[in-house]
Amino acid sequence: MDLNYSPEDIAYRKQVRAWLEQNLPSSPPRTLEERKIWHRTLYDGGFLGMGWPTEYGGQGARPMEQAIVADEMARASAPAPTNGLGLGIVGPTIVVHGNEWQKKRYLPKILTAEEMWCQLYSEPNSGSDLASLKTSAEDKGDHFAVNGQKIWTSGGKVADWGLLLARTDPKAPKHKGITCFLMSMRQPGVEVRPLKQITGSAEFCEVFMTNARVEKENQIGKLGEGWAIANTTLGYERGGRSLARISGYASQYHRLVGAAKKLMRNGRPLIESPIVRQRVAKIWADLEVERYNALRVLTQLERGEHPGAGGSLTKLSYSEFEKRFMEVAQEILGPYGQLTDGAPAELALEIDTAVGEMGTWAYGFLWSRAGTIYAGSSEIQKNVIGERILGLPKESRADRGGAR
Amino acid sequence: MNFSFSDDQILLRNSARALLDEHCKPEHVRAMMDDKTGYGAPLWGEMAKLGWLGLPFPEQYGGAGLGLVELALVHEEMGRAAYPGPFLASVVLGGFPILLGGSAAQKEKWLPAVASGRARLTAALQEDRLDCDPAGVTTTAARAGDGWTLTGVKRFVPWAHVADAVLVPARGPEGLSLFLVDPKGAGASLKPVTGMDLGTRWSELRLEGAGVSADGLVGNAGGATAILESTLRRAAVCASAEMLGAARRSLDMAVGYAKVREQFGQLIGTFQAIRHKCAEMLMEVENSHSAVYYAAWALEAGAEDAAVAASICKSYVSESARKVCGEAIQVHGGIGFTWEYDLHLYFKRAKSLEVQFGDAEYHRELIAQHVSG
Repeated sequence: MDLNYSPEDIAYRKQVRAWLEQNLPSSPPRTLEERKIWHRTLYDGGFLGMGWPTEYGGQGARPMEQAIVADEMARASAPAPTNGLGLGIVGPTIVVHGNEWQKKRYLPKILTAEEMWCQLYSEPNSGSDLASLKTSAEDKGDHFAVNGQKIWTSGGKVADWGLLLARTDPKAPKHKGITCFLMSMRQPGVEVRPLKQITGSAEFCEVFMTNARVEKENQIGKLGEGWAIANTTLGYERGGRSLARISGYASQYHRLVGAAKKLMRNGRPLIESPIVRQRVAKIWADLEVERYNALRVLTQLERGEHPGAGGSLTKLSYSEFEKRFMEVAQEILGPYGQLTDGAPAELALEIDTAVGEMGTWAYGFLWSRAGTIYAGSSEIQKNVIGERILGLPKESRADRGGAR
Repeated sequence: MNFSFSDDQILLRNSARALLDEHCKPEHVRAMMDDKTGYGAPLWGEMAKLGWLGLPFPEQYGGAGLGLVELALVHEEMGRAAYPGPFLASVVLGGFPILLGGSAAQKEKWLPAVASGRARLTAALQEDRLDCDPAGVTTTAARAGDGWTLTGVKRFVPWAHVADAVLVPARGPEGLSLFLVDPKGAGASLKPVTGMDLGTRWSELRLEGAGVSADGLVGNAGGATAILESTLRRAAVCASAEMLGAARRSLDMAVGYAKVREQFGQLIGTFQAIRHKCAEMLMEVENSHSAVYYAAWALEAGAEDAAVAASICKSYVSESARKVCGEAIQVHGGIGFTWEYDLHLYFKRAKSLEVQFGDAEYHRELIAQHVSG
């Protein structure tokens, strides 16, 4: 056990920091075009597709190097690249499950953001029970015809392509009849409507497909293998983001402590209240524990081990932490915390919402409700932990025909 | 960067588990409840033979020259076994102050004796008012010739009834100083008190002009604070490791029970009410593991954040171990509430350690001082 960074990692961190100082845009990019320019700068700097094979434009970097880049970006409050789902989910899926033609055709343009991607998984009636999805893909000889509705599609508005799960065999058991496809979003059979969330913004969309066309060459893996493929990609512990997430929390936290020194209650600064001190200290303890957890995950990734179901523990822990953190922030900030505009500088928060909008404490608080729902709700994570780590018996479920 | 155990550390853990599985079964823990000393001499001898009693001491003093990560590993195994005995008291509370602040002569005298099991030490870190901040010590040390006389009352001194010497902080003309006191010497009296964890033995130590000779001062006169703070941090991390072991054992028992117990015609582990509870317990246990071994490493490596890491560790684990051990009783239902079932051994050990070496609130105030500058 040695939690010091190696001399190589320290040197690499310095190099990344220096690059960011040189290249950070003077003002944050607001429009999609500005974001694509920043994305391209990151790509040219060699900081995108860090873990992907070099023959498809990736960097073939170690997990620790990926984590350092993301961490330095968070520390410098650098805007995120665009095409997040392309980089985070679609690309890795194609790397692992795609054929040679698909890799050469799609991966480079994900990296350059010449083609933007979204993920077409959830449906109105298939949330936690994703495998019950109804969208159908019918074999028409030279192509598949897709009909159905998807929801919670991040970046659907700007996407050129979507990673689609659709049912190809309605007679097969529900987990076996699903196939994975790459579908063009730029066609008459695909209609995209923005979905406004409780934050007031619309990062997500609804997507309606009416005889939408998917070419045969864009089937990923074999027929009926879609569920297995989705499970492996959903299970990717995005270890590259692990440290960066914590550094993001930490910079927000230090701003919160600053606010607690300015705000008063009963004639004294809030930070002098023993109750506030206890709450603030508990958040720091929890935040640091999340950082230690991130170092454990990175150790595993560096050794070439896949965290597997352990990723469920990590996700459960940090997403629940984020809710507690934002609740304490709201308690401290009072009505300032609820402002969506016009907060005094020292009580305001600037977080990158990944869609080019400025974040506020209010946005962060509302957004924290999403983390325990998306990518498998906390309840689903607990089921996975119970069954796959602790080995508890499976529950009796109607779709599995009783307890096993 | 490597947050995993080395082969040697895994070997140490396995040998600790094997020894305790053989010599510290629940029957042993229960037998020691009625024992006058509260711990078994044969097991103590085995620990000495394996080098545990001098684990963190340099080899020149008969120690193994290992670090806090190894010490925490052994404590975790002890928690898993609900080991009753003066291990933490003697090695950590007694050993570290001498290692950190003692003279060459004191090290020569005490460390090999502790390492070989011949002598036992402890430290008296609490008084009536329970503040474990060294600044709160009211016991006094008055000059008497070239030595001192100590007056005051110390509470909840762990394993003092079997200790050859107690490290006692007291306030003298030069400020807070640390003394080696013979608990059976003139002017000192011990009164054992009984707590709900019968594997933790506490005494009240009453000092009424107890004499300490010139060679009984540990460190400089007035120089106790730094030694005490360092010791307290190490004790907090070792106690957290022991709580972690108790929590992990409780979780294992709860999961094991959920796989065999049937109600309503089904295994109770199929119910989400039980399964989700177990998942939350595992999350607490794994987070505690992270907190314990990060802090142990940070203290050993002298990392910048070592002090706050120790406070993060003790505050986090104190609460999560209480929760996990308690929820294990809940998963078991009635059987978990019986004296005959072993769960209460771990529940009570965690509870006892929760309030020693600074509880969660105490350590959170230290964290608040750290983050608010």
